[in-house]
This record gives sequence, structure tokens and C-alpha cells, in this order.
Amino acid sequence: MKVAITSIILAIILALVFCLPALAQESSTITITMTGLDEISITLDKVAWPLGTVASNTEYETSPPIEWCTLTVQGNCNVNTLIIGKDAEWVSDPGAYKWTLSDDGSNGEHIYGLWFRISGDTETNGRGYVPITKTQSEFWPYSAGSSSSLAPGDKKKFGLRLLTPTYFVSGRQMQTQITISAVHA
Amino acid sequence: MARRINLAGLLAAFLTIFLPSSALAQGFSVAPAEVRIDDLPPGEATAFNLTIRNKDEVAHNFTFSVFQPPEEQRRAGREEFPDASWISFSPPEIEVPANSEANVKVTVAIPREQKWTNQDWETWLGVASESSDLLAVKLYVRLLVSTDATMPARFNAKLFAGIVIGIVLISYGTYCYFRRRTKPQRS
Repeated sequence: MKVAITSIILAIILALVFCLPALAQESSTITITMTGLDEISITLDKVAWPLGTVASNTEYETSPPIEWCTLTVQGNCNVNTLIIGKDAEWVSDPGAYKWTLSDDGSNGEHIYGLWFRISGDTETNGRGYVPITKTQSEFWPYSAGSSSSLAPGDKKKFGLRLLTPTYFVSGRQMQTQITISAVHA
Repeated sequence: MARRINLAGLLAAFLTIFLPSSALAQGFSVAPAEVRIDDLPPGEATAFNLTIRNKDEVAHNFTFSVFQPPEEQRRAGREEFPDASWISFSPPEIEVPANSEANVKVTVAIPREQKWTNQDWETWLGVASESSDLLAVKLYVRLLVSTDATMPARFNAKLFAGIVIGIVLISYGTYCYFRRRTKPQRS
């Protein structure tokens, strides 16, 4: 009987010697690297464009047209900036009525266009007015140009242009949002 | 005369009010600007903190999101992060008082699948201040994730218990079998 029990214990020990390494969890080292003390930040000196009452199928530009708002890089790392727009919604009932933001700056019935232009970026040396769409796209720098990313302290002045729909429901206060974003270059 | 009245009516019908809002500058920062995770084994999770500093004179509510950048905006050799749901923020939104800072914990968990080994991904973590203003700011943190080349072995308690029970049963059966064979027959 003693021999049998000893044999069982030895069999278990032998089996465990071979099985445990396969069953046990291996230790691993995960490395997380934070890039120095980099802090990302940009500021805009304007956040509103109080247009008041607008007419259909009409262009409106900020004043001054291309130096209306200043973007300043506040952090301590170089950044690339991007821009995206969205549909304009009726303030009183956002789900009930909207103007759709066009994908090329054009307008139509209940469709409006938004554009931006960066100071110094003219049609002859750059892009001129650029449509703002619902797809996030390059603000500064842009891949087709030779411009470089913005360094801490850099400023970019820009303006906006609105093209109202050819037809829209009157008397409704509309609101939209343009988001300018920054990412470590 | 009637035509002129109709035209005036039509023009009035097309009038509306657009984009009224307050005019305040926005100021906040996020650190670090870039996070790199290396050797993350599929099946495991890791976490780090983002620090949000509200530089405004009023409190702001900040929200978080994951954005998949297009290829031309990713670092060289980096593929799109497969699933934004593998990244979570705790808390999912946070109010930061004026001239203060707060931390948000970001957890990255990769499912345990062989196909996720030895990958180099990039995604962006968006931090935005809730606002109804026309112009808003969003800051992105680059998140670079590289997974381990191998899958770690995982301790399987059920398999382990099965092996032990199997050994005991087989050993006991063998013992009983040989004992019966060697037992002297009574006549």
C-alpha cells in the first residue's frame, strides 16, 4: 500500500515538473515611454462670429477677412493643426432642422458652405480659401505645400467665409461648430 | 406692385440668425503630447495618465475620444489601431476647475489573439472642452502601441486540475489492477 501511494505522489510530481512550465504565466516587461515633458496646447483669440440675420445664397466673410482670428501655439512642442466642421443645427430643436455642411464649400437647399483662409496663404502661393468639411483635414501645415509644422510661440491668423443655403426655413437661429485641433508634429 | 410685394415677402422668408455666441478665448493643455507603449502582449492591459491643465478663469468639462488618423498623418511604419474600444478613459469625462489640473487614466487592453502579436499601431487620443462656441479646440495625444512578438502562456487552472485528477485516477486504477492480479487465489 505504501509503495502504491508513494508511486502516485511521484507520478504527480513528475507530471507537474513537465506541465507547470507550460501552464504558468510568463512574466513580460511592458515599456511605456512618455515623450519628455511635452505639453501640447493651442489657443484661439476668437470663438464666436455673431452674424445676426443672414439672407439666402449669400457670402459672408469675417472682418478682417483673413486676419480675424489668431491661433497661437502655447505648449512646448511643435504641432500640426487640423480643422473640421459640422452641420448647423436649429438652436431651439437641434434634431428637427439643420443645414447640411457641403463637402466642397458649395451650397444648395438647406446646404451651406464654410471656408477658411490663412493670412499669407494666397491662391498664387498656396491654397487661398479652403472648404471646411465634415472630414478632418489639414489646417497648417498642408501636405501639398512646403510649409512646416508650427513651433511654440508661432501664430497663424485666419478668417472664415460662410455661403448660406439657396433656400432655408426662415426665422430659426442656427448654430454650428468648427473644431481646430493640434497634434504633436 | 403685386410682384414687388411678393419679392419682399420671399426675401423676408429667407432671413435667419446665424451663430450668436459669447466671445472667450480657450486655454488648456494636455501632457504628455506623445505616449509610446512597447512590448504589450496580446491578452494584457496597461495604463498611463494624461494631465489636463485648465488655464481659463472658469471651470471646464473635458471629454475624451479616440481618433483614427489617416495614413499620411501617422508616423512611418505605423498601422491603424484596430479597435477604438480597446482604449478606455477613467473617468470618461472630467470637470477641471479654473487654473487647475487633473489626471485621466487611459487603459489600453489588447485581446488575446495570435494575429495581434508583433504589431505597430498608432491612434490619437482627443481631449476637448465642452463648448457651444463656433470655434472649438481639440488636442490630440499620439498613442503609439507596439505589441509583443509572442503570446504569453497563461495558467489554466481547469487544465491543471484535470491533469492532477487524471494522474490520481490512472495511478489508482493501475494499483488496483496489479493488486488484483498479484492477489493469491483462494481454493
